[in-house]
Amino acid sequence: MTTGSNDEQVFSASGIPIRDLYTPEDVKDIDYDKDIGLPGEPPFTRGVYRSMYRGQLWTIRRLTGYSTPEDTNKRYREEYETGQTGFSIAPDISTPVGMDPDDPRVSADVGHSGVPIYSVEDMDTVFDGLPIERCATFLADRVGGLLTPAYFLMAEKRGIPLDQVRGTTANCLCTWSSMDLGNQPPPNAYLRYAVDLIEWCAQHAPRWYPVSFNSYNPRDNGISAVQEIGMLMATVIQYVDEQKRRGRVPLEKFVKRFAFNMAVNNDFFEEIAKLRAARRMLLKIIRDRYGIQDPSCGQLRVHVQSSGSTHTHQEPLNNLIRIAYQVMAGVLGGAQSIHANGYDEAVCLPTEQAMLLAIRTEQIIALETNVTNTVDPLGGSYYVESLTNELEERAWDYVKKIEDQGGMVQAILSGWIHREYKSAIIEYEHKLAAGDVTVVGVNKFRLDKKPYEVPIFRPDPKSTDMLIQRIKRLREQRDNARVAAALKRLEEVTRSDENTFPAIMEAVKAHATPGELGKIQLEAYGPWTYPISG
Amino acid sequence: MDEKKIKILMAKPGLEGHWRGIIAVSAAFRDAGFEVVYGGHMRPPEIGATASQEDVDIVGLSILSSNYTRLVSETIKELKDRGKGDVMVLLGGIIYEEDFPALKDMGVAGVFVTGTPMEDIVEFVRKATS
Amino acid sequence: MGDSQQVFSASGIPIQDLYTPEDIKDIDYDRDIGRAGQPPFTRGVYPTMYRGRLWTIRRLSGFNTPEETNKLYHEEYELGQTGFSVAPDISTVAGMDADDPRIAADIGHAGVPMSSLADVEATFDGLPIEKVSTYLADRCGAVNTAMYFVMAQNRGIDLQEIRGTTANDMLAWSVPSLVNQPPPEAYLRYAVDFMEWCAEHAPRWNPVSFDSYNARDCGLNAVQELGMLLATAIEYIETARKRGRVPLDRFVRRISFNTGVHNDFFEEIAKLRAARRMWYKIIRQRYGIEDPRCALFRVHVQSSGSTHTTQEPLNNVMRIAFQVLAGALGGAQSIHANGYDEGICLPTDEAMLLSIRTEQIAALESNVTNTIDPLGGSYYVESLTNQMEERAWQYVQQIEDMGGMAKALSSGWAYKEYSDATIEHERRLGTGETTVVGVNKFRLEKEVYEVPIFRWDPQAPYRQIEKLKKYKQQRDQSKLAGALGKLEAVTQEGGNVFPHVMEAVRCQATLGEISDVQLKAYGTWRRPFGV
Repeated sequence: MTTGSNDEQVFSASGIPIRDLYTPEDVKDIDYDKDIGLPGEPPFTRGVYRSMYRGQLWTIRRLTGYSTPEDTNKRYREEYETGQTGFSIAPDISTPVGMDPDDPRVSADVGHSGVPIYSVEDMDTVFDGLPIERCATFLADRVGGLLTPAYFLMAEKRGIPLDQVRGTTANCLCTWSSMDLGNQPPPNAYLRYAVDLIEWCAQHAPRWYPVSFNSYNPRDNGISAVQEIGMLMATVIQYVDEQKRRGRVPLEKFVKRFAFNMAVNNDFFEEIAKLRAARRMLLKIIRDRYGIQDPSCGQLRVHVQSSGSTHTHQEPLNNLIRIAYQVMAGVLGGAQSIHANGYDEAVCLPTEQAMLLAIRTEQIIALETNVTNTVDPLGGSYYVESLTNELEERAWDYVKKIEDQGGMVQAILSGWIHREYKSAIIEYEHKLAAGDVTVVGVNKFRLDKKPYEVPIFRPDPKSTDMLIQRIKRLREQRDNARVAAALKRLEEVTRSDENTFPAIMEAVKAHATPGELGKIQLEAYGPWTYPISG
Repeated sequence: MDEKKIKILMAKPGLEGHWRGIIAVSAAFRDAGFEVVYGGHMRPPEIGATASQEDVDIVGLSILSSNYTRLVSETIKELKDRGKGDVMVLLGGIIYEEDFPALKDMGVAGVFVTGTPMEDIVEFVRKATS
Repeated sequence: MGDSQQVFSASGIPIQDLYTPEDIKDIDYDRDIGRAGQPPFTRGVYPTMYRGRLWTIRRLSGFNTPEETNKLYHEEYELGQTGFSVAPDISTVAGMDADDPRIAADIGHAGVPMSSLADVEATFDGLPIEKVSTYLADRCGAVNTAMYFVMAQNRGIDLQEIRGTTANDMLAWSVPSLVNQPPPEAYLRYAVDFMEWCAEHAPRWNPVSFDSYNARDCGLNAVQELGMLLATAIEYIETARKRGRVPLDRFVRRISFNTGVHNDFFEEIAKLRAARRMWYKIIRQRYGIEDPRCALFRVHVQSSGSTHTTQEPLNNVMRIAFQVLAGALGGAQSIHANGYDEGICLPTDEAMLLSIRTEQIAALESNVTNTIDPLGGSYYVESLTNQMEERAWQYVQQIEDMGGMAKALSSGWAYKEYSDATIEHERRLGTGETTVVGVNKFRLEKEVYEVPIFRWDPQAPYRQIEKLKKYKQQRDQSKLAGALGKLEAVTQEGGNVFPHVMEAVRCQATLGEISDVQLKAYGTWRRPFGV
């Protein structure tokens, strides 16, 4: 059988040259105990826990939300019945932009991309009949926003003391930087609010994960796996340095409940190696850079999500396969929680069918493929260990690049980060046009006409008016004097350097709305426009 | 080829924050020799005003949430109200095929869903403006 | 949370919670793992593997009539398939012509009826068989292959150059409950005749593809699968060795293989790696053949149909995706991804498209082809490979001890293994030891979605029968009778029948007529199924 030339250089998706064969030679400098080690022990290369999936499967947790809290509750119940084991709120656009639904700036967008939540009652509705004491929730909140306080207040009402409540707040500067949203304060304000929450939780809600450093959205802008880890670690450093500067909470308490959120993209082995490298790097940052010896402080507990940017509009069922491989990579990479997208990600919000298939993908891997039989099955592979090392080395270089810019906040302010995104976007398009990257059914094997239809999901158009009515009623029925006082207090605290979170909680308890909270941020810090030039 | 370059205003009339598509298409237009005014987030009135001020030939809208019908019709109205009804309107993003006829009736000249090759969009503009 | 419970692979190998360098410290890299394309071939049969050339996308297909199958093959080729694979229908497998009253027009269901040379020609009309190779799941005695060869010659293709594969495999043949078959000794005679003939006249053709797919789908585990597969190959080589008609190295040179890929992801990968090493040892050590090109375990794998559910059929897209990936990581040369509707019907266009897309996405988007044998060195995978090999040798030995694979079949021993495995599988489904998502766990009360169904054309058999009747009428009857008579004589004498099969085909003998000669000589054999 003829074989083609093997002289052509071959690269991973992030540009690492890949040899045709890896052998013991390639890993001979690895010290097993120092560099690979045991799962559950530094440097955590093989996994953050000793028994991993043999002890407990990863959480099946999908970012979901649409139309109204009632509709979302119904969907969450279905997901739970189908076998999902954790919740994750996809909030409506009004949440990240900090506007109320009757704000004319947002009324055209309300209800289309997530669930609108404006009060503790709304949060309660979303979780009606669901076991939040058993299933933790991820909140993709606006920084200093309403969702986290609302969740805490709901938990308290249900008899769960704050020091027991479990879940995660997004709270990540890195992911926030990768979107282009209006009505935002500048990155240094973001950092302030974020660190306030982490500080507060370290003392009052120690089981909560008050931050999930998140490189998912940045990755979807087209940056590479190397840049993804680099930006993620640089963000961690920014947060810890800020607490170091403040000196209010011992660093080991501050970092104890750091969580992470990453993408899983197409290059199967690179993505697995990425997770292993990231675990090792976090441990080194925590232990070596910050001198924190407690090994439980250096565990990179990660939620991964299949990369939406790889899911095509054309022949959407192909995405079942892409997502299957991405989720498998997440499992072989040792993730704690996984979101498989709906195959219709590039078509609409997930239909019931797409949701079912996403959950089934995770269940099939967990229960039929036996890949959970052993911990870190790829450990020792000459290729995977080499790739892990290469990714780590290149990611450190990238962290340094960001440090040279003055850290993550400075790099965002100066526009450097956005220029990185933009180059990545444009370079990807060139590769696509040149065929250097293949997207089956799109730039290769493209069919002239659609081979099949898939069901479409449309959010309920009546819901916008209902939400506007609701918030008007909320404002009428609440104790407006109490709200005014709480907002005034929040304003004072914001302008000082005190921790804002208690005042935010009080305001939310008094039924302040997202728009009102957002307004205070912007009045104190000024609005900031993302430095994106076309 | 001494004629005035084709001028295109690229904007996102909604609030959702995905900017990868609009950047990619803007870059492709620039590479193709068109003049691009990058508007980023602009509500329909602002799009109308800018289109008029800049005297553009084409307005390109990028929308990845399902509220495009309303945003597009508002934008087209703003353009017409300012006497810019002759400006070509293009729409890109996540659009349901069953809505294409209604969008065309509204006045959208071309709809480009994600996964459309850049060269197809450029070619469309060339053909439509020749 | 607790890890005291023992955990097993699907074939029953106890799996440790963790594998470390300790577990592979006795492995000698050069001796046991080595480089791809070099003995013992653990890492792959070729030196460049997918960096040189991707695996073939080859899907077993065929339905209704040769004409419609031809149309389907054209479509598959357009979509990106890179090899053909013919699924014969039940009449063809039963060695009966389409117009045979015993078949009662029950043809074209799960494959294409190929009763004659004209049928084979119609199936391949306009297809570039000189560029794209074909796999023929031929029944017994390579009769359809003879038709394929005659067709190729008529097209000016030199048989010395022709590429493709004939199943010709006793193991896969033995599993389904087929009627109108000769006994295993007969099968073996014809099979080895064909291989000997090809060694001289069609040296680039793969005259056998030992096939454990069907056996695996009964419920046998990976160890049994591998054991039976290699025991069958040994049986053939022993037969050729005893006959002494063709030098052994030429006899084995084009042996190829066909296995299932099942659910236990890493076990399936380890199975393929172990298989390569074992095959090398059989050829080199047992038979003393030194040319390394004779010891290549070249394999086509197919996603295991028995794992594809009727409930929630789209779940099978994921199952098949993982099985294809395991095949790729295990170093297969050719892969068939089933349609997701395997548990319901023949593949619809949609299912066919998705199965081709599965392979394309694995090949072109996931970058798993960037390096050869990416899992090499993994403490787990190398340990599992060793364990698979050790257990498979024991199973081969068991079969050897009872006299070899043909004896294992005719005595009924293999059939007991098949039925025991089937019953055990059902038992585990009942207790939940084996999980099938959506079936015995997380089962929904009603189907959330529907999928398109493929329906067989009830008029197709009549078209086919008409055609065949006309074909039979226009033949030179005396030439035909002469050729069949000669074939019968050689069959009795014990000479190589294959050239006479070719001659009969040239005289337009049908599959049924040639099969009748087989059965007249050897009698029919009923498979010893029973509980």
